[in-house]
Amino acid sequence: MNNIVLSVKDLNVWYNDFQAVKGISIDYPEKSISAIIGPSGCGKSTFLRCLNRIHEEVPGARAEGEILLKGRNILGSKIDPVQVRRSIGMVFQKPNPFPSMSILENVTLGVRLLGVRDKSKLMQVAEQCLRKAALWDEVKDKLSQLGTSLSGGQQQRLCIARALAIDPPVLLMDEPTSALDPIASLKIENLMSDLKKDYTVIVVTHNMQQAARVADYTSFFVLGELIEHGACSDIFTNPKEQKTEDYITGKFG
Amino acid sequence: MYLKYRKLKNLIFHFSLYLCAALVLIPLVLIIFFVFKMGATSINLDFFTSLPKPVGEDGGGMKHAILGTLYMVSIASVISIPLGLLCGVYLSEFGKGKVATLLRLTIDMLTGVPSIVIGIFAYITIVVPLKSFSAMAGGVALSIIILPIVCRSTEEILKLVPGHIREAGLALGLPRWRVIFNIVVKGNLSSLTTGVMLAISRAAGETAPLLFTAFGNMYLSYEIDEPMASLPVQIYNYAISPFDDWQRQAWAGSLVLIVLVLGINIFARTLISLKHIKFRYRG
Amino acid sequence: MINENESFIEESTKFNNLVDSNCTKSKVFNFSYQLQDKINYYLIKSFACLVILLLIGLVAMLIYSALPAMEEFGLGFAFGDDWNPVEDEFGALPFLFGTLITSFLALMLATPVSVGVALFINEVLSKKLAAVVSLFVEMIAAIPSIVFGLWGVFYLAPFVKETLTPVLKSSLGFLPFFQGASFGIGILTASLILALMIIPTITSICRIVFKTVPTLQKEAALALGSTRFEMIKIALLRPSFSGIMGAIVLGLGRALGETMAVAMVIGNSPSISASLFSPAATMASVIANEYTEADSDLHLSALCYVGFLLFIVTFTINGLARFIVWNQSKKVGG
Repeated sequence: MNNIVLSVKDLNVWYNDFQAVKGISIDYPEKSISAIIGPSGCGKSTFLRCLNRIHEEVPGARAEGEILLKGRNILGSKIDPVQVRRSIGMVFQKPNPFPSMSILENVTLGVRLLGVRDKSKLMQVAEQCLRKAALWDEVKDKLSQLGTSLSGGQQQRLCIARALAIDPPVLLMDEPTSALDPIASLKIENLMSDLKKDYTVIVVTHNMQQAARVADYTSFFVLGELIEHGACSDIFTNPKEQKTEDYITGKFG
Repeated sequence: MYLKYRKLKNLIFHFSLYLCAALVLIPLVLIIFFVFKMGATSINLDFFTSLPKPVGEDGGGMKHAILGTLYMVSIASVISIPLGLLCGVYLSEFGKGKVATLLRLTIDMLTGVPSIVIGIFAYITIVVPLKSFSAMAGGVALSIIILPIVCRSTEEILKLVPGHIREAGLALGLPRWRVIFNIVVKGNLSSLTTGVMLAISRAAGETAPLLFTAFGNMYLSYEIDEPMASLPVQIYNYAISPFDDWQRQAWAGSLVLIVLVLGINIFARTLISLKHIKFRYRG
Repeated sequence: MINENESFIEESTKFNNLVDSNCTKSKVFNFSYQLQDKINYYLIKSFACLVILLLIGLVAMLIYSALPAMEEFGLGFAFGDDWNPVEDEFGALPFLFGTLITSFLALMLATPVSVGVALFINEVLSKKLAAVVSLFVEMIAAIPSIVFGLWGVFYLAPFVKETLTPVLKSSLGFLPFFQGASFGIGILTASLILALMIIPTITSICRIVFKTVPTLQKEAALALGSTRFEMIKIALLRPSFSGIMGAIVLGLGRALGETMAVAMVIGNSPSISASLFSPAATMASVIANEYTEADSDLHLSALCYVGFLLFIVTFTINGLARFIVWNQSKKVGG
């Protein structure tokens, strides 16, 4: 269990002159769920986006430090971000199935564009991933319908299935339930616990109860700094830092 | 008393708005009515299937002009649809640098260039070196006219695609060009088609740039380096002729042209309601 | 670099029991993804540059072909009022005059109507009816100008000659603009057609401008007890003034370049006259009429010179319009 899959060392991120993430170092063990909590604007999303280099999409963003995936620095200048993202998938805050694509196309797009053309194989991938995302039973009869025709919670699980299709060992989730109602959120949470068997999940959430429910490890960020990182049971019951305790008990944030 | 006066003013104002609408819609109805009335009495199957006959002889049609218009619009489409789409993609996906600013300015200017001036350009660059009016020159002139329309509509449509869709594609480990073409462009193919169809309908109705590029003729031609008739130019030539027969043919041609152009237009617009797209500069 | 990426592929795919690494490696191109993206980027960029070069080429060719006439007549070309192809004597003033007067008249006629229609669609009609009416207005823009011309020659011109002219003569005949004989075709008819053709342009931009005014301001005006007319005057027209100006100038840009409809109803005589009933010619119409028939090189070049002038005029007007609209959107957008 203590096999470290992703290790962040002294990560600093700037948007032009503004430093959003300040010297953060965290290790993520394999097949675990780690949550990142903190008040709005504390750099938690920025941090997460660095982990698969999608932060490069924001003009002026620049990351320094090391992020080691199985010992290899993915921030290295010679590393192709496209390859990084193939190993580190991501689910976004808003459910975002691709427009004008059926459920099936949505799930299989990644594999299809990697060169898999065989229909039965694609179907196999789709079924496996939709099952993993706990969506198969709901959509198996309407795979050719538009992805956007599903409900919000289903769309989000479709996005998870889509990310699983290329089978990344690490899955990042950026507030995956903040746009969903409580019941849909619960389903996603249960799904996350299932995913832990095969994947390393890192989730940003603004919902502390959620972090306490699903995560094994939790980090607490304030203003771009890591205040505390540790096992969930410690952070929520016995925080070492005063700030963490204040935040968890609702005195601040 | 004062309130009454204000209410009266309000009433007059409302009345004048209705009047404005009437002033616009009545001519539209009149134009369409007359085109249909005059065209319907002159049009028949012959019009579509036969070539013009000399003055005085009955019958004859505009088969050559209808085919010529289709031919040259196809040339224009082949040139400017890919080019316009790519430029639109460039503006929406990489639209920040110097080249993009310059391209945006260029597209703005091209939209504003009068079509007759574009005709002159095609004449100088194609007709003069080839020493002959040609379908090629006509097609090129039309393509320059629709290029900015395709480019602008593409840019505006693709800009509506939210950034997180692109990020989702990138997060799947797809290279950017895959994300752009397989997700962003392909996902909006139907709206893009609408923009392209509107551009084509415009090209089909253009007369001025064809006058001295494709020039027109009275026989059927499929040669790209020879003069070619087109519906609008044929209508023009017949309309300014003194012969009743020919003027009737002009009306019939107008009917075909207006049905073609408005047909494509309405079809494209109702197919997908393009609420957000502003085709403001060239109709 | 390639090696390092390859190892990444293996690492990511060894987790996957379905997508075996052989499949993943059978890429479309044998380039790294960064290289693919770079090639794609520069490919698209080169097309963009091609279009920019096209415009430069267009302007350059126009100047090149107008060069003989420029050398012969210089800048005075724009102010010479004699256009005589037989004696190779060319001056563009009649066409400048014709273009400006028809466009100006068209604007005078089209502006109030367009603003009215825009208000009518946005403020009076229900959403469904508004969609229908605006579709109709946009259909006007879609009608080919040759059809406008045909209709103008056979219906509008007789109407102007037999109905409009007597009315104008009896009511405003003391003005020099409304004197002289009317043949139906002439400045007035051309202006009427042009007005109709630019109404959709001005209307649609006015509608966009009106939509940028926050509903809150309109409701505030209504809440103060103003009538709808007063609300529109205070909360809608006043803040959109510069936007409307931009719309008008853009409409002007369109009117200046319109060719066929005008060429068919203006009469094509290179003369300057105060009477709106008299025939004239515009820059665009003279090119359309004489270009294929020009037999001397100087004539052709003079026509290109006219085209160049037309280009300059429309370019300036469109630039002005864009500047105004851009200023407005900056103000509203904050």
